[in-house]
Amino acid sequence: MSTPEAPKRFVFQDPRGRRWPRLRRVLLAWCVMVALAVVWFFQAVFVRPELKLPHSIRSLKGQLHSAIKETERTTDDPNVINWQKYYATSQAAMERLTRIRAQLRKKRSGDSEIRLGFYVDWDENSFASLEEHAGTLTHIAPEWFTLTKTTSDLTYSADAKLSTFAASHGLEVMPLLRNLEDDDWQPEAVENLATGSADKRAQFVKTLVADLKSGNADGVIIDWELVDPAYKDAYTHLLTELSDALHDAEMELWFLVSPGDAFETFDLEELSAVVDRFVALLADENSDSDKPGPISSLDWLEGWLKVIDNTGDPNQWIIGLGAYAYDWNETTKKTETISFKDAMSRASYAGVDLDGRTVEVAAPAYNGVFSYSEPTGDHTVSFLDAISFFNQLRAVRHAGFAGVAVSRLGSEDPSLWDVFDAAVRPASGALAALGKLHASDTITHVGSGEIVTVDDTRDDGERHITIEPDGNLRASYVDFPTYPILYHQGAGGQHEVALTFDDGPDPEWTPRILDILKERGVKAAFFIVGKNAEDHPALVQRILDEGHEIGNHTYSHANLAIMSPARMRLELNMTQRLIESITGRSTTLFRPPYNADSNPTKIEELTPLKIAQEELDYTVVLEKVDPQDWARPGADVIVQRVKDLRNEGNLVLLHDAGGDRSQTVEALPKIIDYLQMRGDRIVSLSELLNIPRDELMPPADAAAQPVERLVTSAGFRLWRVVIEFFWAFMIFATVLVVLRTLVVAWLAQRHHVEGISAARALNPSTLDLRPSTPLSVIIAAFNEGKVIAKTLHSVLKTDYAGDIEVVVVDDGSKDDTAAEIERVAAADSRVRLIRQANAGKSHALRHGLANAAHGIIVFLDADTLFERGTLSAIVAPFSHPLIGAVSGNARVGNLRSFVARCQSLEYICGFNLDRRAYSEWNCVTVVPGAVSAIRRSAIVAAGGFSDDTLAEDTDLTLTLHRLGYQIAYAPEAIAWTEAPETWRTLAKQRFRWAFGTMQCLWKHRDIVFNPRFGSLGWFSLPGIWFYQILLVALTPLVDAILLFSLFSGHAAAIGWYFLIFLALDLGLAMLACYMEDEPLRRAFTIIPMRIIYRPLLAWVIWQAIIRVLKGAIVGWGKLERTGTVTART
Amino acid sequence: MRNFGLRIADCGFPKLAAYAGALIAIFIAGCDRTTSDPRAGTNPQPAIRNPQLTIPERGVYAGAYIEFGDNEDTVTLEKIANFDRLVGKEQAIIASSSYWGEQTFPKANMELIARYGAVPLVFWSPWDRPYVEGLGPDKYSLTSIIAGEHDGYIDLWADSAREFGSPIIVSFANEPNGSWFPWSGLHYGGDKLLPGATNDYEGPEIFKKAWRHIVDRVRARGAKNVQFVLHLMDYSDPQEEWNLAEHYYPGADYVDWLGFSLYGDQFHNDEGWANFFPLFDWPYTELCLLDPAKPIMVCEWGCGEFPEKGSKAQWIRDGFRIMKDTKKYPRLKACVFWHERWQNDDGLYSNLRVNSTPASQQAYREGFADAFFLSRPLFKDGMSEKR
Repeated sequence: MSTPEAPKRFVFQDPRGRRWPRLRRVLLAWCVMVALAVVWFFQAVFVRPELKLPHSIRSLKGQLHSAIKETERTTDDPNVINWQKYYATSQAAMERLTRIRAQLRKKRSGDSEIRLGFYVDWDENSFASLEEHAGTLTHIAPEWFTLTKTTSDLTYSADAKLSTFAASHGLEVMPLLRNLEDDDWQPEAVENLATGSADKRAQFVKTLVADLKSGNADGVIIDWELVDPAYKDAYTHLLTELSDALHDAEMELWFLVSPGDAFETFDLEELSAVVDRFVALLADENSDSDKPGPISSLDWLEGWLKVIDNTGDPNQWIIGLGAYAYDWNETTKKTETISFKDAMSRASYAGVDLDGRTVEVAAPAYNGVFSYSEPTGDHTVSFLDAISFFNQLRAVRHAGFAGVAVSRLGSEDPSLWDVFDAAVRPASGALAALGKLHASDTITHVGSGEIVTVDDTRDDGERHITIEPDGNLRASYVDFPTYPILYHQGAGGQHEVALTFDDGPDPEWTPRILDILKERGVKAAFFIVGKNAEDHPALVQRILDEGHEIGNHTYSHANLAIMSPARMRLELNMTQRLIESITGRSTTLFRPPYNADSNPTKIEELTPLKIAQEELDYTVVLEKVDPQDWARPGADVIVQRVKDLRNEGNLVLLHDAGGDRSQTVEALPKIIDYLQMRGDRIVSLSELLNIPRDELMPPADAAAQPVERLVTSAGFRLWRVVIEFFWAFMIFATVLVVLRTLVVAWLAQRHHVEGISAARALNPSTLDLRPSTPLSVIIAAFNEGKVIAKTLHSVLKTDYAGDIEVVVVDDGSKDDTAAEIERVAAADSRVRLIRQANAGKSHALRHGLANAAHGIIVFLDADTLFERGTLSAIVAPFSHPLIGAVSGNARVGNLRSFVARCQSLEYICGFNLDRRAYSEWNCVTVVPGAVSAIRRSAIVAAGGFSDDTLAEDTDLTLTLHRLGYQIAYAPEAIAWTEAPETWRTLAKQRFRWAFGTMQCLWKHRDIVFNPRFGSLGWFSLPGIWFYQILLVALTPLVDAILLFSLFSGHAAAIGWYFLIFLALDLGLAMLACYMEDEPLRRAFTIIPMRIIYRPLLAWVIWQAIIRVLKGAIVGWGKLERTGTVTART
Repeated sequence: MRNFGLRIADCGFPKLAAYAGALIAIFIAGCDRTTSDPRAGTNPQPAIRNPQLTIPERGVYAGAYIEFGDNEDTVTLEKIANFDRLVGKEQAIIASSSYWGEQTFPKANMELIARYGAVPLVFWSPWDRPYVEGLGPDKYSLTSIIAGEHDGYIDLWADSAREFGSPIIVSFANEPNGSWFPWSGLHYGGDKLLPGATNDYEGPEIFKKAWRHIVDRVRARGAKNVQFVLHLMDYSDPQEEWNLAEHYYPGADYVDWLGFSLYGDQFHNDEGWANFFPLFDWPYTELCLLDPAKPIMVCEWGCGEFPEKGSKAQWIRDGFRIMKDTKKYPRLKACVFWHERWQNDDGLYSNLRVNSTPASQQAYREGFADAFFLSRPLFKDGMSEKR
């Protein structure tokens, strides 16, 4: 809309058009630099820090050494249970046997082979094996029942998953009932039950039968160990009672007999009439508490088969065969029960098969044995495989036993299942197939401790199988298979334990935990979360300064299992860079968040560990002692769980962040007390691993990756500055907004009260201005045909006593404006029409002013309707000689649309309330063109209406202030104006206002903070700068950040923030409605307004700012008139 | 422990021994010691710089031996805490062994017990692996001790005990009046009279000589925190004149406590049932005659569970009732329960656990609940006593 007559001094005009191109160039340059910096930053974050993982952790294979050592069979050992002791060959025994067999054969002839699998619910491999081989099995024995404590407590841990599986696969479920708690056999539980009251026994039988029914079991297997043979008869009696009840319920009673004492502890002859089956578990020739030796050598097994054959009817007996391995650490005297696959991985890792060496599963034991050594000790491993199983199965079948049991599912040689249906003399093809050792995804474990290294290479192996003359198979392991390996380290000494804290630092809890550790002289490891480290760098430094270790716990505590490798790298590198930039040290320690325990069972779980370890060179630290303190079970429970779990491992996991950690803080001293009381030494991880601290946490080498480190640390710092500035700004702005609201409310209220008292005291005689002072009313009109007549009528209908003249300037309208004016003028001589070619509003006003006759000039917009009393009210303040201008009370008259209703409220509680307040301190910033009255002398003194801004009313008002005039506000001088009814027109109007306001602010910038102008310079004008320009412009940014915070878990704090602001707005709106006698409920429109209106205003401000920067001239931004305003009287 | 088949019926009435001479202070006075207290910084108890065990004016220290394994020396806090749960109270004394065949001082056990807050009672038993009863003297024989062959080990043990610093009660070569341990008087000449003597028998005399050798050496190393308890069997085996308590008493200078083991029935195949009273009353009286003032300790007490023969619960109740009788037994100041289950050669078990049955456990809990049976030792500061 620029015209050729555009004034030279139009504010923000850039006549040569250089500002924008120049600015654009500067902006472009900045964008490129910022983009480069960001790219550089991320590149540095993605580039893996050059960690130097301690050599001793990395080179695992070098730590294991094979040691071929012939292990003597230890049948002479007094601890070994010799079958010979129990083997009776007397004639009487043989006769008894024949008798028993004759009886029992009748019952059971023709039964097919029973195949029982022992099942455990704590090893996922057990279920995997069951799933795969359910077809081969007929029965399954889970560990459901225990009979423990001196009070003979029966506990039942139901397993619906197994029940369902068994039912759908036609497997009979025969759960075990053992007098075992943890690793502790409790004979008293059985003895006291058997020798105790009949009621107690009846209750036991009843409960057990009911539990078995509820678990859809087909019976129960009794496994009672270490009980006193003195009560032999009592056991028989108890089992008879149980058997009767089970049979009534159509369930079976099986009885497990371990080789050894059990043959004498129980009266097996009597029991043969009571129980349905005996299960003899013929393994543990050398058990975990013995010295190394065969688990079950073939001749030993055959001996026991003879014993059983002598004891009863083989057809009543099921023979349990071992399918596992033992690893005796002969240095620490600890024995691990391991799987066949674990044994294979250990042999392969130690290189037992290198240099042409082999491990033989051969006569007489047919039991694999090998030795190896690693840093914590010398090991001997004894394993049972498919070959030993073949030979043992052959012996069992040969003797006509009812079936076999596999002890246990999940730890067996996978080829074992091929043996069940193999020929008695397998063909060479079958032998070759048995000889293949296929690697699988099963995770195997090597070493001990909870600091782990992954090696997921897998490698098939081979054993050469031959048939011996006696028909037994013999295997020669020439190449051990390798399964994915989790190599465990850091078990330390028996009494070495380490404390670790995850998720910090936290400003509240971390210092308290550090204080406790300091007081007790204990060093711990803190696995910190990057974003927390970023928020609390001083705490990170403190952790390190006090001698603790720091590990990486990802940047955002994200679940690595569901994360892309790229994101994981970023998570780890960001945190690493942070730690480097804060402490000047790197860390090689890493613990994955959400780590359930230190025994991953699925191959997928290894992937993140592998990335962390191999690609990023971290040492992965897991844990076994996890008291779940994060769930806040109570400090005492946390301590008790540590006590219960301490024997499981030596890494204690606690948390120093992520919620209320008061229980952890309370528990920590007790945990330290307990550990120290039991003789533990609480050590750092570097001590546990026997690696210097500087290797675990190497000082960041200034020479290594200097640029990356510079960029990342600068980046992190800059980001911190930005975030800190943002929060500071938020707080600053909040305080100012609250203050302003309070001040405005207070001033407005004061003005309101004064107004009422003034009105009461109004006495015309006190005025130096007679109420009949003649007035000139000036209206500038441009295309106002629809409304101008109505406007004129509203002015003419006034109750004002004095003369008025109405000067209407038609600014070259293209519609019938002029004609309409003519029509009114013809009827009322007070109206005069002046026409001009289109030249803009200020020009029209100047034109009107030149033609006005009187000393007080009232301006109103062509679309604005006066009430009858408006003229009287607006003139009244001129009684004071210093008053140069009076602002009327513009109100929105068209309330048809939401847009207009919003504006109505905005006029009431924004503009008018502000104006009331400002007038109290004589700092009204604008006397609106829509309704105002100005002394002609003042306008003249001000140099008339200027052309250099779009907001000539504001410009004039500010100029009047400069001249020393006072500006008053007459709230009774109500004028109904027409508000834009669409967002588009509103935006257009507001853009014009915003641009004009900015022009005026710029033009009158010297007023700001100028003491000469009092509250105008210190209150209202800076207020416009801050609240109406800056704050509104920043609204979208603030909203975006708040929204982001909302999603990142600060919902509560942000919620309060919003509520407070909404309440402030609402309060102010209600105050305004009350003062304007509007219904209070209208104030509630403020709530949707906040959401919809704010962004619009922000957009408008930005449009205006851009226009300012571009330096273009802006036209009138003419509103489309609808002519729907009606004056309310 | 372990005694075999000893019956009250075998007892003849023993001769009274002459009273011991001068009354000598039982308690070891405090002394200047600069070694640091190993409990400093870790002990949650109020720190007493130089703790000395006091003999309670009223009440009896109660404690236990808790199935510490084949060598009676795998002391763990878990076992102690579990026992505490069973009996409902903490222990003032924790008993364990230090076998000479190991050639060590059980530092970790002592520290653990002290941190737990009890006083260790250590059976310091001079025998060699495989620690099987009935084998007779081995390389740690009493004569070899007297000959000074093991002074190095004794000194090492004493030095370690001194460095440990907290009170220890040592039972050296316990139950010498029994027949099962290699240090029994029976193995050292038994009833053979010393040349020229009328009442000094070779067996007990050699034992006393060895005892004095031990005590002298330990004291010479400055281990003043060590108290010695002469720990006999309730009734001698064989129950003969030469084997009675009086002959094993090395003298008031060499003994801080007088103690004995007290066992009810331990084996299924034993005939009859032994009540608590006679097992306690006579041995107590016999020990009191050795010295007019020294406190008496039941170093071991326990009973097997044989419901067909008698009530262990009643036996335990009797025990607590009788031991609380301060009028009759004012000098009883400590009792240590033997909590263990083992299998015998005949395959049958001896169940001396406190929780062998719910009734037995309840009886112990109720008896022990009496505040008379102290669950924490009382200490005084040896330094301040000196001033």
